[in-house]
Amino acid sequence: MSAPSPMPADLNPRLVKTLDYTGSERLTMNMGPQHPSAHGVFRAILTLEGEQVVAVDAVIGYLHRCHEKLAETLTYAQYPSIASKTDYVAAMTSELAYVMAAERLAKIEVPKRAEYLRVAVAELQRVASHCLWLGTWCMDMGGALGGGATVFLYCIRERELVLDLFESLTGARLLYGFHQVGGVRYDVPEGWAAECRKTIDLIESRILEYEAMLEDNTFFRMRTEGVGVISRELALDVGIGGPLLRASGVAFDLRRAQPYSSYQDFDFNVPVETAGDCFARYQVRMVEFRESIKIVRQILDGLPEGPISSRPGLKSVAQVRVPKGEMYARVEGPRGEVGCYLIGDGGAKPYRMKWRGASFSNLAVLPHIIPGHSVADVVAIMGSVDPVFGEVDR
Amino acid sequence: MANARPQGFFAETWQLALAVIRAMRITFITFFRKPVTVHYPDRPRAYPDRYRGLLALVYESDTGEEACIGCRLCEFVCPPAVIKVEMVKGEKRNYAKTFTLELYACEFCELCVQVCPTDAIVMMKSFDMATADRRDMLLDKDRLHAIGEQFPRSWATGNLLRDMQAPPKKAPGEKPAHAAPDAAAEKPAGGAA
Amino acid sequence: MSNLHPALIGLISGGVLLGALAGLVAYVTLLERKFAARLQSRVGPYRVGPHGLLQPIADAVKLLLKEDLVPAEADRRIFNLAPVVFLVPCLLIFATIPFAPGLGVADLNIGILFFMAVSSMEIVGLFMAGWSSNNKYALLSAMRAVNQIISYDLPFIMAALVPVLLAGSLRLSDIAAAQEGLWFVFYPVIGQLGFLAFVIASVAAENRVPFDILEAESELVAGFRVEYSGMKFALIQLGEYAHVLGTSFLGALLFLGAWSGPGPAWLGPGWFLLKALGIFLLITWVRWSFIRIRVDQILQISWKVLLPLTVLLVAATAITIVLRGASGG
Repeated sequence: MSAPSPMPADLNPRLVKTLDYTGSERLTMNMGPQHPSAHGVFRAILTLEGEQVVAVDAVIGYLHRCHEKLAETLTYAQYPSIASKTDYVAAMTSELAYVMAAERLAKIEVPKRAEYLRVAVAELQRVASHCLWLGTWCMDMGGALGGGATVFLYCIRERELVLDLFESLTGARLLYGFHQVGGVRYDVPEGWAAECRKTIDLIESRILEYEAMLEDNTFFRMRTEGVGVISRELALDVGIGGPLLRASGVAFDLRRAQPYSSYQDFDFNVPVETAGDCFARYQVRMVEFRESIKIVRQILDGLPEGPISSRPGLKSVAQVRVPKGEMYARVEGPRGEVGCYLIGDGGAKPYRMKWRGASFSNLAVLPHIIPGHSVADVVAIMGSVDPVFGEVDR
Repeated sequence: MANARPQGFFAETWQLALAVIRAMRITFITFFRKPVTVHYPDRPRAYPDRYRGLLALVYESDTGEEACIGCRLCEFVCPPAVIKVEMVKGEKRNYAKTFTLELYACEFCELCVQVCPTDAIVMMKSFDMATADRRDMLLDKDRLHAIGEQFPRSWATGNLLRDMQAPPKKAPGEKPAHAAPDAAAEKPAGGAA
Repeated sequence: MSNLHPALIGLISGGVLLGALAGLVAYVTLLERKFAARLQSRVGPYRVGPHGLLQPIADAVKLLLKEDLVPAEADRRIFNLAPVVFLVPCLLIFATIPFAPGLGVADLNIGILFFMAVSSMEIVGLFMAGWSSNNKYALLSAMRAVNQIISYDLPFIMAALVPVLLAGSLRLSDIAAAQEGLWFVFYPVIGQLGFLAFVIASVAAENRVPFDILEAESELVAGFRVEYSGMKFALIQLGEYAHVLGTSFLGALLFLGAWSGPGPAWLGPGWFLLKALGIFLLITWVRWSFIRIRVDQILQISWKVLLPLTVLLVAATAITIVLRGASGG
């Protein structure tokens, strides 16, 4: 921390807020990449005047692992388990995007049971991912040694229950490899449905506890209301997605707008708030908790019998071949739109694969909304944007 | 669902007092719940049936011979390419001369188990192999067989997985072959309030 | 004992107090960790010693063995002196607290004034630490610290004045003795409000969550302490916990009747310790239930809410006493 990094030579004048500061100088402070609340490896070069941030220069790329090049060397059978590692907090959505792109390009039908299972795990994954979001956000705002850690541990306690469900379904807790081209790899074991019902009932009651600790809490309201306001125009301009977009008044959810994988069969609400501040994003995600649980209950009540894959089980590495063409598949992940753009060349490996990372586009909004707030608000805003750097850097 | 912020000094103070009591009540209730900590390694953790743990090679149940025929399908399918197999031909069937698995780079994705035609490579219901030297995790064939004897096996083998994923060609009324054993009995009691 | 030179008595009692304090503070950290863990559905330290009872000793040994780093561009002398300047006032406040009638190191007749004055001195050590670290995070934190502690020492003093007025003396043993009949916290409205104000002001004056913006681990990464390691860090931690414990003891003395409790008189110090730990656990319970608030909001609370309320409280106490005196009570 001795020598500060050089200030960016040309601060985009549109993004620098001038304040009535009569103090002496601007301070350049580096936040990250090693920082308890950087949510991963993220470097934000803050320019401060006193306690207020004047400009933010975001530096990413610390977690770049060449996913897109890797996809060119791995076949369609091998890559889905690697796809989990982009958004490692919500692994099921990334796998789903890749597998859907390949299926659409090769015009492979997916059996109904597999589609319902995909929706079930996607919604459970949304619950688990939002648990992690709430926990880490409160920990950033409340201190690793303090009330924030308490909410964090409660959320992780509930997330562990969902991960236990995934463990009895697939055998893995974090990076599943559950999807394959044509369907899914694992069917539900005996007793899983009952266990799942018990878990989501418990989580629903615990959500009430989180809200009791946070919702009407003046401290929480003070920290989040009016902070980091994203206006509707800015949201549509920058191209963010997910709860950020819906908290700014844009009623857009891919599960409604372009239903994929049988989402049209289920009855759920899409929460929309207009305030656009951190509190609105919090409200949107809390409602999404409940809606996801609703969807999972509908699936458990009506899971159709049938095969879980329309392709035979994997026997050799080049089993799946995808014809020439290009395809873009989008899913609504917990953070926004996760997209996979695939160019097939008729063989077993794609010619090109590109990820549209939800967090990558969401991070672009930070230099617009952070200037004008104080340093303490930077963590509140970053937490409510909920970036996962596996998605950002791939 | 949220109420508007109350205006006025006393209303705000009252709201703050209520919020304080509400939050402290939740922590107070949690104080009297049983902690969810599992005292590993003093108490073992209950692994579900399909747990993807350590990898191992097994012997055939009827003849006692090595099940691996050295076909190298697992080597080709492995995404991080951690498996290296050399085949040696035998009279009735082939064998694997050497079989190396770099466990420190393994992803535990279970694709090798999936493709194995003879159910030779399987995963165990345990991951207890912490070591101070990474070279201990470069498993050769003897180590792999030893691991297969040492730990309990997971449910998944190549044929079981492929049967589970196969599109149906069975007559109606016949129970599908892919029903997995009861995993509910093994769930840890971590969710109990 | 009484025919020993008074300086020798002072030295021995001071030494005994320091020794007891070091052990108490170390085990209070363990108490906090186990209590906090239970609030979070987990167990705290468990493996070092039976149920983690040797954890503080393990921590002390670890901190002794750590490398003592001084940043390259730091101001060496002030950097090395800051933990000491921070620690000494935090330990000195215990000198005036009587643990039983007549059992105290120095029962000054301006006891509480000494306590308040000395406990404010820790700000100097804090600022020295933040300034000399040559670290922007530490500097930001130190500046916030000076702001916050000064703002909250005023309501702290005002809240502590309520028992002083009710007892009519600044001497701490007099205040404790005046609660023989009824603890001050049970006085109709003044006692409860005074206790509440005291606890809130002391939480803020000690940089505990929800007012710990100057540490703010997730933003400023330990704030003014960020460059300290090893034994210097241990001294700062010791000072912080000693300060919290000292204010807990003071709160127990001012409001909860110090050593009065059922049973024989020699149980008095035990009751005192229990009451102080009770206040400490209350502060800990608050700490682990709330997220922190921003520094401008903290200062607003202090100047706009707490200070006027405590001043009004002191005025109300004074009026009550006058009326009580006028009616011959």
